[in-house]
Amino acid sequence: MDVFLTSRIASDVLGGLTNGVIYGLVALSLVLVWRSTGILNFAQGAMPMLATYVGMVTFGHYFGYWICVVIAVLVGFLIGAGTERVLVRPLYGKPEINPVVVMVGFLTVLEAVAAAIWSSTPRSLTTPFSPIDFHLSGKPFALSAFSLYQIITAVVVMVAVAVLFRFTNLGLQLRASALAPEVSRLLGVRVNRMLTLGWTLSTGVGTITAILVASNFFTGLTPQVMDGIFAFGFIAAAVGGLDSPVGSIVAGIVMGIILQFVGDYVNSNAIILVALAILIVSLMARPNGVFSPVKTRRV
Amino acid sequence: MIRVQDLTVAYGAVKALVDVTFEARTSAITAVLGANGAGKTTLLRTISGLKSPVAGSITHDGAELTLMKTEDIARMGIAHVPEGRGVIGEFTVEENLRLGALTAKVDAKQSLASQYERFPILGERRRQHADQLSGGERQILSMARALIANPAVLLLDEPSLGLAPLITAQIMATIKELCASENLTVILVEQNASSALRIADHAVVLNVGHVVANDVASVVAEDEKLRQYYLGMVR
Amino acid sequence: MNRQRSPRGLSAAGIVIAVAVLSLLVTPSVRDGVALAILMMLTVTSALILLPSELRRARPVLTRAATSTMVVSVTLVATFFFSSTTDFNLATGAAMAVTLVGLSFLTGVSGQVSIGNGAFMGVGAFTMAIWSNHHATTPIAVTLLLSVVAGALVGFLLGLPATRLRGPYLAGMTLAFAVAFPAILTYFNSWTGGDGGLQLPNAANPPHWLNALFVHGTSSLTSSTLWLTDITIVAAGVAFFFMANLFSSRVGRAMRLVRDNEVAAELVGVNLNRTRVLAFVISSAYAALGGALWTFLNNSVTPATYSFALSIVILSVIVIGGIGTIPGALIGGLVYAYSTNVINWITNQTGLNPQGNFASQLNGIIFGGLLIVTMMLAPRGVAGVYYTLRRQRASKRGDVASPPKETYAEA
Ligand SMILES: Nc1ncnc2c1ncn2[C@@H]1O[C@H](COP(=O)(O)OP(=O)(O)OP(=O)(O)O)[C@@H](O)[C@H]1O
Ligand SMILES: [Mg+2]
Repeated sequence: MDVFLTSRIASDVLGGLTNGVIYGLVALSLVLVWRSTGILNFAQGAMPMLATYVGMVTFGHYFGYWICVVIAVLVGFLIGAGTERVLVRPLYGKPEINPVVVMVGFLTVLEAVAAAIWSSTPRSLTTPFSPIDFHLSGKPFALSAFSLYQIITAVVVMVAVAVLFRFTNLGLQLRASALAPEVSRLLGVRVNRMLTLGWTLSTGVGTITAILVASNFFTGLTPQVMDGIFAFGFIAAAVGGLDSPVGSIVAGIVMGIILQFVGDYVNSNAIILVALAILIVSLMARPNGVFSPVKTRRV
Repeated sequence: MIRVQDLTVAYGAVKALVDVTFEARTSAITAVLGANGAGKTTLLRTISGLKSPVAGSITHDGAELTLMKTEDIARMGIAHVPEGRGVIGEFTVEENLRLGALTAKVDAKQSLASQYERFPILGERRRQHADQLSGGERQILSMARALIANPAVLLLDEPSLGLAPLITAQIMATIKELCASENLTVILVEQNASSALRIADHAVVLNVGHVVANDVASVVAEDEKLRQYYLGMVR
Repeated sequence: MNRQRSPRGLSAAGIVIAVAVLSLLVTPSVRDGVALAILMMLTVTSALILLPSELRRARPVLTRAATSTMVVSVTLVATFFFSSTTDFNLATGAAMAVTLVGLSFLTGVSGQVSIGNGAFMGVGAFTMAIWSNHHATTPIAVTLLLSVVAGALVGFLLGLPATRLRGPYLAGMTLAFAVAFPAILTYFNSWTGGDGGLQLPNAANPPHWLNALFVHGTSSLTSSTLWLTDITIVAAGVAFFFMANLFSSRVGRAMRLVRDNEVAAELVGVNLNRTRVLAFVISSAYAALGGALWTFLNNSVTPATYSFALSIVILSVIVIGGIGTIPGALIGGLVYAYSTNVINWITNQTGLNPQGNFASQLNGIIFGGLLIVTMMLAPRGVAGVYYTLRRQRASKRGDVASPPKETYAEA
């Protein structure tokens, strides 16, 4: 067993899992917004990035890590809600490219503002968890206290979102508003509030993701830190199905593992090439996502 | 009681309702009849606030509805079973019902139980997705979902659409029964004039947006001209 | 008809005279041939523009050829007078405008949007550099064409899923491509030269036939880089000419139909998939031409130029200029060419520390902000505002024959 755990294959699987849960979380946050408002939010990485700067850097001068995490997530909620109210609401019912362009503009502004305030120099956040790999009978294997923290947090968030949507009345209303806004209104559901809430939750999930990414000793926090992660998260969401939370999470994790092998056995610059290839091939084969049932969209 | 006064509604330049005036009394069924495109659906959508009128007023027990949001109108106890039933196919039967019970002030578990008691078929299918139900079952689900919140007003848009005569008769009977037992104000929109008139207390006939008759149901049912020209009923 | 003709005749005559005077001014210092050639071009152009409007409508291609020639020749003449910095800016903007008109076409005609056109520019830019390094003797026009083909091929590959996807998915995919592009360049670093990029081997060596025109001139007006500028502008002119025709061609109409009503398009026999992919391929090919021209103009290429940020800038300037329109691409190109100057000016005026964090981010804040504001207030940009104003004026005059909705998507 020990021999297996410290083997190259096991370490790739574990490393891939650690990255994969992050892609899964980004994908999940994209799905939350897509399902509730039909918008692919290109600022889905940048909004949490800003929340992370405010919470972890600005408040980092005064408070410890965990208090800052709470503050950052609250700021993320605020950014999500505010964005939906101010920026996104006028875009409903407009041609598809309008929200795309506006959110790309927002992404640009957010990254520039963050760099203007905090500069582009990477900041490392002090985490309570060590990034150094555990050892088994004297040999390292690809799991550290930090990566455990990352995986456990991601799983907790995913489960929490699932519970919220499956088992609570709020989740019922969120789902109903996305599926049938008019019927929901007739039943007294405050659909506009649900749309705002969808963005709020999504940015909250995104902020937890951004904190995990930025807390990573090897990455640190920069204004562009989420760009690449967003790309992987989008690919996961598109492969798994933008309509399918479970599908996109699974796709994120599987992709994380595959890409870890590619990086290890081929070349780290080949990772994104393979990811693009996966995207293209899977979209050709299953346009609605690998995990969504094959059915034609009802109009 | 719902009062509609001089209501005019338009889609762009096209007027779908012109100066419509009528009353729907409590504990009574008011049938709204008319051919395709007469404006029946538009009337119900305007009452529910899904469509805003050009002019006129709609009141429920004296409270003005025209400027209120759909959600708030629904929360006042005005339940609308839309054309095509509006069940959420991706939801299970029970989820559909739970959604209807959200705004109710009553206990959700209890009201679910009472609906299952009233419509046993729904109890049997509670875990099934709503898009697996038959048309009649969907209609029942849709009505149960509207009733679960104990509404004061029930707006029904063509409940008989696509149903076999026997089922239609059953549904009409249920409506009649509910109206009496729950003190409901029912506005029943129907193409199927004869079944509607059989249970209605009052009837309003619309023709291209205009009210052409507004009288006791039995009077409308006996009016040859109305029957022939607007209701398509030939003896 | 004559009444219509006279003001246009006057202005054309004015242009001809002005150009003649300009050319005379130039003649002592530049080969007579240049001035003469330009003069001839202008004369032909003016004559074409003088065509009665019925003929203009009957021969739209000819009219577009005339318009392109006109704009190109006037710009060429102007390059003789401008400083070399201005020339360089103009050419940079012209190459950018080629990229922009491709994106404008994609969005305006097919309703799709790409956020990866900076990367497609990069494909053209690097093809140009790599090919020139291996085959230094290939004529410029051929190398440019090869770069366009490379852009089209990559566009085809990425566009294949477009057959299955709706707008936002495609946008996301192109974004992923743009983010991935630097890593792709690094992956192929034995060809692309890694971080340092590539130099062109025959820098500042105009082909023989051009030598006669530019380099042997003894004037202070001719600089050794003028020919680069002018070839770029001519290439851009040709690209715009084709695009103007494409906008109003049968293919263009089919694409607009697909955008507006898929079902109707299928009913009249338009192949949805082929049309969508084609739009995407054309847009990538144009971006690649823009990038190849940049390489040509700079005599070098660096990977840093083709970062994700470039793709966003491209989207910004075309939205500001007017996405879906041809003049919008020209305006966008100019905005791009002068944006650095404008931003420096703002920095100076506001007394910001030019080395400071804020000044260095002004670019992103302004472009991103304009992207949002334009989309919210005037989704068709400057060109759209102009068309709206013109239509309002026309309808005020009671001019029923004024162009109906949407014609402004055409040249
Ligand atoms: N969304 C809309 N946009 C434009 N016109 C509409 C719209 N909905 C309805 N109309 C028009 O308004 C008029 C009334 O339509 P409405 O749906 O109220 O008729 P109806 O009486 O319910 O007919 P049916 O019995 O067929 O359901 C019709 O002429 C219809 O064409
Ligand atoms: Mg109807």
